Amino acid sequence: MIALGEQTRETQTSKLHAFDSLHPTIQLGCFAAILILTMVTIHPIFLALSFVAAFSFCGFARGWKTALATLAWQAPLVLLCAAINPLFSSAGTTTLFHLGSKAVMAESVVFGGCMGLMLAAVILWFCAASAVLTSDKVMAVLGSRLPSIGLMVSMTMRLVPQFVERGRLIEGNLRAVSAAAPQNSQEVVGGRIRLVSTLMGWSMEDSLERADAMKARGWGATKTRTTYKRYQFRRFDAVALALCGVLGALSAVSAWLVCSRWQFYPALGSLAPWWAYLPFALFMFLPLLACISENVRGGNGRNLL
Amino acid sequence: MNALTISDFTFSYPEKDPLFTDVSLTLEEGSFALLVGRTGCGKTTLLRAIKSELAPAGNRCGLIEVFGRNTFTLTTYESASMIGHVAQSAENQIVCDSVWHELAFGLENLGVSQAEMRRRIAEVASFFDIESLMHAPVTSLSGGQKQAVTLASILVMQPKLLLLDEPTAQLDPVAEKNFLHALFRINRELGITVVVATHAPETMRAYAHEAFCITDKRLEPISLDEFDFSDFVFDEQGHGERNHDERGYDEPNHGERNHGERNHGERKKKALAELSENNTALSLHDVFFRYTAHEPWVLRGLDVDIASGSIHAIIGANGSGKSTLLHLIAGILKRGRGQVKNKLSAAQALLPQNPKALFVCDSAYEELQEWQKRCGYTEARLAATLERFGLSAHADQHPYDLSGGQQQKLALAKLLLTNPDLLLLDEPTKGLDATAKCEIAEILLSLRDVGTTIILVTHDLSFVACVADSATMLFDGQATCTEALPDFFAQNIFYRPRVDAFMLRWREHQAPLNKGVHAANRSTTTGATTGATTGATPGKSASEGAHAANRSTTTGNAPTSSISAGDFL
Repeated sequence: MIALGEQTRETQTSKLHAFDSLHPTIQLGCFAAILILTMVTIHPIFLALSFVAAFSFCGFARGWKTALATLAWQAPLVLLCAAINPLFSSAGTTTLFHLGSKAVMAESVVFGGCMGLMLAAVILWFCAASAVLTSDKVMAVLGSRLPSIGLMVSMTMRLVPQFVERGRLIEGNLRAVSAAAPQNSQEVVGGRIRLVSTLMGWSMEDSLERADAMKARGWGATKTRTTYKRYQFRRFDAVALALCGVLGALSAVSAWLVCSRWQFYPALGSLAPWWAYLPFALFMFLPLLACISENVRGGNGRNLL
Repeated sequence: MNALTISDFTFSYPEKDPLFTDVSLTLEEGSFALLVGRTGCGKTTLLRAIKSELAPAGNRCGLIEVFGRNTFTLTTYESASMIGHVAQSAENQIVCDSVWHELAFGLENLGVSQAEMRRRIAEVASFFDIESLMHAPVTSLSGGQKQAVTLASILVMQPKLLLLDEPTAQLDPVAEKNFLHALFRINRELGITVVVATHAPETMRAYAHEAFCITDKRLEPISLDEFDFSDFVFDEQGHGERNHDERGYDEPNHGERNHGERNHGERKKKALAELSENNTALSLHDVFFRYTAHEPWVLRGLDVDIASGSIHAIIGANGSGKSTLLHLIAGILKRGRGQVKNKLSAAQALLPQNPKALFVCDSAYEELQEWQKRCGYTEARLAATLERFGLSAHADQHPYDLSGGQQQKLALAKLLLTNPDLLLLDEPTKGLDATAKCEIAEILLSLRDVGTTIILVTHDLSFVACVADSATMLFDGQATCTEALPDFFAQNIFYRPRVDAFMLRWREHQAPLNKGVHAANRSTTTGATTGATTGATPGKSASEGAHAANRSTTTGNAPTSSISAGDFL
């Protein structure tokens, strides 16, 4: 009846259907586990696997252009870490060359590179996770545990864009009045202060009206507010959670076993057989594989791998 | 059962005279009532007094009962679930960031169970057909959608009485129709009693059962026919009369034609003549614009020339790019391709849609002082401007404490003190009542008479019909047509101004002036030193007019107001 015909942009990207049908707790849990595993396994192979998985998921979810753009500044970051670490730590046994009186050790370079790689992988994973975990999903998970925080965050999420938009509006409107144009740098600073002051006044004024609207809708009517739950935890979610849990635990155990036999100093340890890395690799690529298999099947979002 | 009974209700703000005395009102269940009255007469106060959480502080006596219950003994819970309240600005009423959360907010407050909440939200979302918007962030909604969500978020609480305070004032005409239609369905299909306070009753007339007016501190019932202007026509002096000839309503441009030639004859032709003489203040040629590379073009190949010293209106539907065009002209938006030539950019001023965007000081007077040093206007001129805009009595008030019309006038006054040659107005009449609109119209005409070029973007077609010299309609990113005014609407069948309270008042106001100030007006026009308006020889252009039949009515002069142009020099 009310002409609301225009379809508003939904937060989801059609490519990420595999996630959108899952309960947000699992999505959050999956990415959290991946992040933690990446941060604790300081091992070149594991970090490389995590980095490649993060990069491919980022490219898949946010576009390869975006992913390559991040790589453009991340590659120098990794190299920088590899170059700087030997300057601070002279542990190791293999001397590459001497820099003045300081010996640069191969082990230090590898360790520095690994730290850089971890940093890059973690950033990429955050970038990938933010494509999937929209604010309302995070809120749905946190909000059911901490309802008042949930409401506060929701109200903040409402006000911040409004604040930014209004700031832009005030600034633009002032630019459109020729007589108000600043004539020296002092006035430019004054203009900024003026903008903030206008913005504050405007928002405070509106907050009175919003407070009335809240009162009119029964704010404070009962001692205990209830919380509307958008997502329900179903059997499918339980199965997915179990699968993620088993795979996550397997990769954690294998990573622990491999890492405990690995060392950077004094000399690099030897690598474990290839199958020791398999559970970890599978877990890291799980989000990407799930999305691809979902898209290939064109299913209804309720297929496990 | 009576939905609402007000008996001998008197209210006064602390240390003030009573706003109204011994007001009585009885509304039956299922009624749709309008509450009208001038700005500041207490419509809002009366509505808020009905809902105890919103009732303003002050001295009150008398009784207000909702479904037989004294509203002041209702608990917050009862009040929230019995009485719904919708205010003017949807933007400020929305509490949460997504539509589903907004709908759930009230129910969460009332402690409604999960299952019940789901059912009620589903029901209301289907009723309003907003299911597709459920997960959308509120920032992505249009103004009309936001107000619909506000209404829905109140209806989930299943109120029996709905109070609305100017709910459509911020909406464009299409969104307004949709909203009123929703309200109509709520009333007729669900039997919910509706009370709407409004200053534009003519659009709601068809939906309402009864109307009440607050005049002289009293509440009187008035007939809905008072708001029916559909059969008005204008005689040559501009006196509005009800047309008893049945055909009057069907004949497309009856009123418009009369009015157009009377009010605009001279100017229009002059404006067009100036166009052809290339006396353009602004010219946009082949303008393409989009906000980002991923979005579609808002403007694609727009050409328009605007004569200096004219009032030019830009009209078009929502999202047709009206405001974008205005911002391009103002230079706020810069990207895009094509040519935007603005000869007056060194002395321009933009009145934003919300005047609050311009206010920064603690009083109206200080507000006008803000640019004094820079522009060098005298204290005397400042005081004269306050007087001229009827704001002297409010000089010490905080800008936010002024009414919508007063805020609009204060913002305009602030801009005019900078002596702009080009005035850009974004929806200058939004949310204003007929009186305030008349005042704005008067100011604009007197500015035009001293040569200011004025461009206004608006949905208000009756305002355009009364004030503008020429108009451009935007459609599909292009200027579909640019014409001088009587001709502009004469061809239209669907997109035409309706006679409303403003138009009636404006015509009545203008009619005596047109005869009376003939001589004085001529002297101010020729005496004006600013280029564009001088050299206008009304007699000459009238004789060249296409509308020979009405030549007799245009022997006067260009429309003017009681203010002499000299006030602004």
